[in-house]
Amino acid sequence: MTGTGTPSRNSPRRKGTTTPMSNTETTLKEAMTSIEGALGAALVDYSSGMALGTLGGGKELDLSVAAAGNTDVVRAKLRTMEMLGLKDEIEDILITLGTQYHLIRLLKGRGNNGLFLYLALDNKRANLAMARHQLKKIEDALEV
Amino acid sequence: MSTAIQKPPQEARHGVSPMLVRLVTERATGALLRDRGTLYLCDGQVVHAESPAAPGIDVLLTAAGRLRPEGWQEAVDRAGPRGRVGRFLVESGQVGDGELEICHLGALHDAAFFALAPSSGPTRFRYGVAHWMGPVRPVPAEAVEREAARRRELLEAIWPCPDLDTAPVVRSTRPPDAPLTPRQRAVLALADGARTPLDIARLLGRPAFHTLVDMRRLAAVGAVESPRAPAPPPDTHAWAARMAAETTAPDVALLRRLRDALEATL
Repeated sequence: MTGTGTPSRNSPRRKGTTTPMSNTETTLKEAMTSIEGALGAALVDYSSGMALGTLGGGKELDLSVAAAGNTDVVRAKLRTMEMLGLKDEIEDILITLGTQYHLIRLLKGRGNNGLFLYLALDNKRANLAMARHQLKKIEDALEV
Repeated sequence: MSTAIQKPPQEARHGVSPMLVRLVTERATGALLRDRGTLYLCDGQVVHAESPAAPGIDVLLTAAGRLRPEGWQEAVDRAGPRGRVGRFLVESGQVGDGELEICHLGALHDAAFFALAPSSGPTRFRYGVAHWMGPVRPVPAEAVEREAARRRELLEAIWPCPDLDTAPVVRSTRPPDAPLTPRQRAVLALADGARTPLDIARLLGRPAFHTLVDMRRLAAVGAVESPRAPAPPPDTHAWAARMAAETTAPDVALLRRLRDALEATL
C-alpha cells in the first residue's frame, strides 16, 4: 500500500521505516472491511489516470492498471452524455463481469476535482445495493 | 492507452537522476534542485515538490473556492516559520484532512513531473533544507519517478506534439471531430490565442499536467491547433501532370496482367 497506487509488492519499504496510514488509505481500508465481497479499492484522478491510493487487488487485479484504464470508461461516458445533450452528472457506473462487479463512483467534492472511487467486488459475496450505499458514505468520509 | 500504463523495465527506472537514487539510499533530507523544479526530501522520501511550470498547492486550494486566499496567507504567516502550514490548515478547520492530502499529492506529482523532466542542466542538492509546507504525506522517490515517466508516456500516446505544452493555445476554426467533456470545454473556453496551458491551469486552479493532457486531447480531435503546422499534402496535381507527360498511352498489356493476377488471388 502506497500513496500512489502501487501495490506494496512493487515498492519495498526500507526496514525500520513505518509510515502512518494516510487519510486516503484509512478510508479505503474502511471500504474494504465494511463492504462485503470487496476485492480491491482505489481512489483515482481521472485526468491524469493516477491512483492516489489503492488497497487490495493483487496478482489477478492490478489496481494501478485498472485505475488508468477506467479513466477512459469515465471519459467515454461523459462524451456520450455530451452527444446526447444530457445535462446531468454521473453518480456511478456499474460494470458486471461473470464473477465480479466493478463499481465506479464519481466524487462531487467542493472543488469538483475529477476523482472517482473504484471498487471491485466478488459477485457471489457482494450485495450490490449495500455496496453502493457504503460507497456513498465513504465519499463523505474522504472529505474531498 | 495501454502503452501509457506499462511499467518501464527495472534498469530504466533510475534513468532520470542517479543522484536521487543515491539520496534515497542515504535517506537524505534537503532540496534537490533541477532546471525545471525542486524536490524536497525528508529521510529519503519525497515530501514536497515545486516547479515554475506548475500551479502551487495554494492555487489548487484557493482557485476552486475550497480555501479563501486570506486563509492561506494566514496559514503561511503563522505556521510557515515553524514549517507546519499543512497541519495549520487542517487544525484550524479550513481544509479537511483528506482534502489536503489529495490536493498535496496532486501538487507534488504535478511539480515533480516537470522537475524530473529529462534535461541537460545541473542537478544540485542542498542538505538540510525543509519546505515550509511541512509534513503531509511522504511518497517514495521511486513512485514519484515512475509516475513522472508514466505521465510522459501518456502525453506521447495521446498526441505526440510537445510544443503544445508551452505554446499559446490557439482554437481551431473547424468543429472538433469528437464531443468534448465539460472539463475540456472549460479549458477551451479560456484559450484566447495568448494564454499558455499553464496560464489556463492557473485560472482554473487545476494541475498543469491535467491541462497538458486536455490540450493534447483537444489537439487530437482538432479543437486546438498544433503549434507546428503539419507538412503540406503532396502536390498531387503536379504529380498527375508529370505522369501524364511521361506516359503517352496506358500500358494495356500491363493492365491485363494485373487484372489476371488479381482475379487469380481473389
